[in-house]
Amino acid sequence: MNTLDANRREFLKTSGTALAGAAVLPGFLDGIVRKASGPVPLADTATQIISDCAWCGSACGMKATVSGGVLTFVEGLPEDIQGGGKMCAKGKAATGYLYDPDRLKYPMKRTNPVKGVGVDAGWVRITWDEALDLATAKLKETIEKNGRDSVMILGLASPDVWARFQNCIGTSNRFDHWDECFLANRVVSANVIGGFVWGHDFANAKYIVTFGWDVVGKAKVVWARAVTDAKKKGAKIVSFNPYKAAGTSVVADEAISIRPGSDLAVVNAMIHVILAENLYDKAFVEGLTNFPQYETEIRAHFAPYTPEWAEALSDVPAETITRIAREFATNGPAIAPIHKKTPSANYANGSETTFAITILNVLAGTIDRPGGRFFPRTHTIPGIDAIVPPPAYPAKSGVDIVGRHRHPFLKAVGSGMFSCLADGLRKNPGKIQMGIITRYSTMAFPNPPEVEAELKKIPFTVVCDIFPNEIIELADVVLPSALYLEVSDLVARDHHAPYKMTVVRQPVVPPQFETKPLGSILLAWGLKAFPEYWKNPDGTPINMGYVLDEKTKRAGLGANFAEMKAKGFVKEVAPFVPRTSFPTASGKINIYVKAFADAGFEPLPTWKQKRDVPSSQYPFYLLTIIPPMHIRNTTENNRITNEIKGTNEVFINVQTARGLGISEGDTIKVRSRVGEIQVPARLTEAIRPDCVLVPHGFGHQSRLMTAAYGKGAKDAILVPGQSMDDILARKDVGGAACIMDAVVSIAKI
Amino acid sequence: MSTYGFLVDLGLCISCSACEAACKTWNNVPTGRNVRWRRVIDQVLGVWPKVTTYGVSMACNHCADAPCVKACPSGALTVRTKDGIVLLDKTKCIGCRYCESVCPYGAPQYDATEKKMSKCTMCVDRIDAGKEPACVDTCPTGALQFGKLVDIDHEGVKQIPNFAEPSYTNPSIRFVPKEG
Ligand code: SF4
Ligand code: SF4
Ligand code: SF4
Repeated sequence: MNTLDANRREFLKTSGTALAGAAVLPGFLDGIVRKASGPVPLADTATQIISDCAWCGSACGMKATVSGGVLTFVEGLPEDIQGGGKMCAKGKAATGYLYDPDRLKYPMKRTNPVKGVGVDAGWVRITWDEALDLATAKLKETIEKNGRDSVMILGLASPDVWARFQNCIGTSNRFDHWDECFLANRVVSANVIGGFVWGHDFANAKYIVTFGWDVVGKAKVVWARAVTDAKKKGAKIVSFNPYKAAGTSVVADEAISIRPGSDLAVVNAMIHVILAENLYDKAFVEGLTNFPQYETEIRAHFAPYTPEWAEALSDVPAETITRIAREFATNGPAIAPIHKKTPSANYANGSETTFAITILNVLAGTIDRPGGRFFPRTHTIPGIDAIVPPPAYPAKSGVDIVGRHRHPFLKAVGSGMFSCLADGLRKNPGKIQMGIITRYSTMAFPNPPEVEAELKKIPFTVVCDIFPNEIIELADVVLPSALYLEVSDLVARDHHAPYKMTVVRQPVVPPQFETKPLGSILLAWGLKAFPEYWKNPDGTPINMGYVLDEKTKRAGLGANFAEMKAKGFVKEVAPFVPRTSFPTASGKINIYVKAFADAGFEPLPTWKQKRDVPSSQYPFYLLTIIPPMHIRNTTENNRITNEIKGTNEVFINVQTARGLGISEGDTIKVRSRVGEIQVPARLTEAIRPDCVLVPHGFGHQSRLMTAAYGKGAKDAILVPGQSMDDILARKDVGGAACIMDAVVSIAKI
Repeated sequence: MSTYGFLVDLGLCISCSACEAACKTWNNVPTGRNVRWRRVIDQVLGVWPKVTTYGVSMACNHCADAPCVKACPSGALTVRTKDGIVLLDKTKCIGCRYCESVCPYGAPQYDATEKKMSKCTMCVDRIDAGKEPACVDTCPTGALQFGKLVDIDHEGVKQIPNFAEPSYTNPSIRFVPKEG
């Protein structure tokens, strides 16, 4: 992307910054040469294979064109209503991942005992057997000597095969990025509407108002399409954002500037107006929620949150808040989306913000209604444990190094807490003796140097990944995993699923080099480390093909996986029947959450300030975005997406920059209370004068990522980590990671 | 006048660059040489807080009065007679970069590795097979559309802020301006 400010340049020679030639490292990581050249053959000379994209959770159905064994092109699968036949830049760049010359290709082990990001590990290629024997010996020894909790896993709890492997280990020290994503939303949704849902029926909404979540700017096709479809049908879109070049603000009818971290104030004031003027959906609220039972408490709670009060905190005029609240409540179906990261993880008040936005949707009466936030209608695909029941797993202690067990709601979810990991490792020296890390970069943490310093102390670490990101520089053994383009699976739709739909995932090409699908890796490792869990009752190894056949059959998708592959896509179109009871204990939606009050948290969304607020030392709010052609810390080395956006900058308001003597392109030192980065200045009129924005995902330090290495800087260096004490002290019910909660100074070098 | 043209709805372009990635893969354009047949240019008009923002997805405009064709000394750039698509024949290109200097849109780009120019073909192979260009086919919002110029002519305007004066080249692109 190039940014041109008005009246500065014509569309002349939009060459942007020339890309420096990527350094090619000599070594055994030999390049892979894409055989195709020239234009992609049209379908009649090539094979088209139905599968799906895996770069985000919506997993758009796709058709892959393969010619002479080489993937040349992917396009959307029109019958899949997630993508609707469209794909985003991340998905379209499929060949860029598959044929990335930097991919991890073989199992490797380190020869240099000195670990650190930027330190050459002295990798040597080993066989799968050697790698898994080494990993097994360490795993057994660690569990025996130091106990199950001395093994730490950084990885998601799913898929099912991975969960089985984790259960064999039996550690309570498993962490993931959920607190930086949708953990708060999960806790709030479970307690208010009875479960977490991805579904947002934007296309049928008449009024869409977004706080924090730049639903369009993330460029997930499912949402970008639906919001713009609504716009084409005449829906009104209102976006509150301190940065007006964000996608949702671009397509919005009204893009309203808001002070960072004050969305909660505006939402609470909207609730105030809707309650005071009795504009809520009476049938829904009185019939399907606990409003009648707690009406006095609810009205009293929101009474002080007037639009005038919110104006002082947010800079949004009181009359604008009142008008938007009235329009929202009377022009339905209305929806205020809350998905992930933003708004639930950005700031210390993320959980409360998510809670308030959820209530706004409840008052509009659109939970599980057309045009609202809805529960997915999905196929139920059984996990491996249902198909091949395991022997009893070892009991878990339930105690982890970050202290999740001290928080009743985070304990219940049992995920997240990357934001507390450095603190947890620091407070428990020597506790973790082995690490197993799947598909995470240290760039996924606030303050990466702090995390790297702790992770490198772990005596033995196994990393299973696709690309050589910086985390492998802290590894002892690396297991190369296959891409989504090389594996088999069933993917039930849940992002936009008004009826049941499942798409097949199948190898469009075989796994390249010696990479293996995660399931095969875990089966092979499991047979060595925990054989009794990875064998059938007759002593033969579990057959993953059989498991997939059973999943297909039991989910009602076909007789076996081969039949599913032939079909590609299965949908059971059925009318959408709105829920009249919700999966809460009472069957009603809880506006007032008694469970929160009983555990010492606020039963209704209560105003709290964000953690870091501007001071004379750090006068600017820090904002970040993930550019739409990238997925967090993963796609930056893809030659195609890297060429579109390969580095970052700091966006500064033009007036602000003038006041500080900063010109376009100057190198700027951006500093917070925990770190400092240097990036070029990009002047724009699209940002609040009291904010600066540094796009996320750049500043890769792994030399093995030859396209992304050394380009740009990590915004996360500016963001402080936190501890469970911090979360408990602020009574944060959802444990928001505060990944954008930083203030900074800027200066020209 | 060329037969086909692009229609860009500025109120719908979210700068996602799916169009650029589609172009890159369909046409197998090399990476790492800053040769980007299609690219998205973010526009910010006005002064904070009264700003209008949008992306403009731009490639070759297959101009009716293509200055690049006139400037090319080797006959490498030609206009396909049946539909006006401006095509580059790499075997004839001598890399003199004259076309680059006369095109107001940065469409012909110099590939320093091949020492030749490189340019959008309007996906002529797809058009001949009855398909839309790859970039248009994937645009998730419908911001980038394609059609017969006679059809899109009255759906959009010829000029938007910061766009080079169209009377000079008569480009096959129309814009639906963004309100506000
Ligand atoms: S794909 Fe469409 S919305 Fe995305 S940048 Fe291109 S023209 Fe704009
Ligand atoms: S846009 Fe440029 S390259 Fe394309 S036809 Fe017009 S002048 Fe020639
Ligand atoms: S028409 Fe084809 S060649 Fe031209 S920009 Fe679009 S995808 Fe690229």
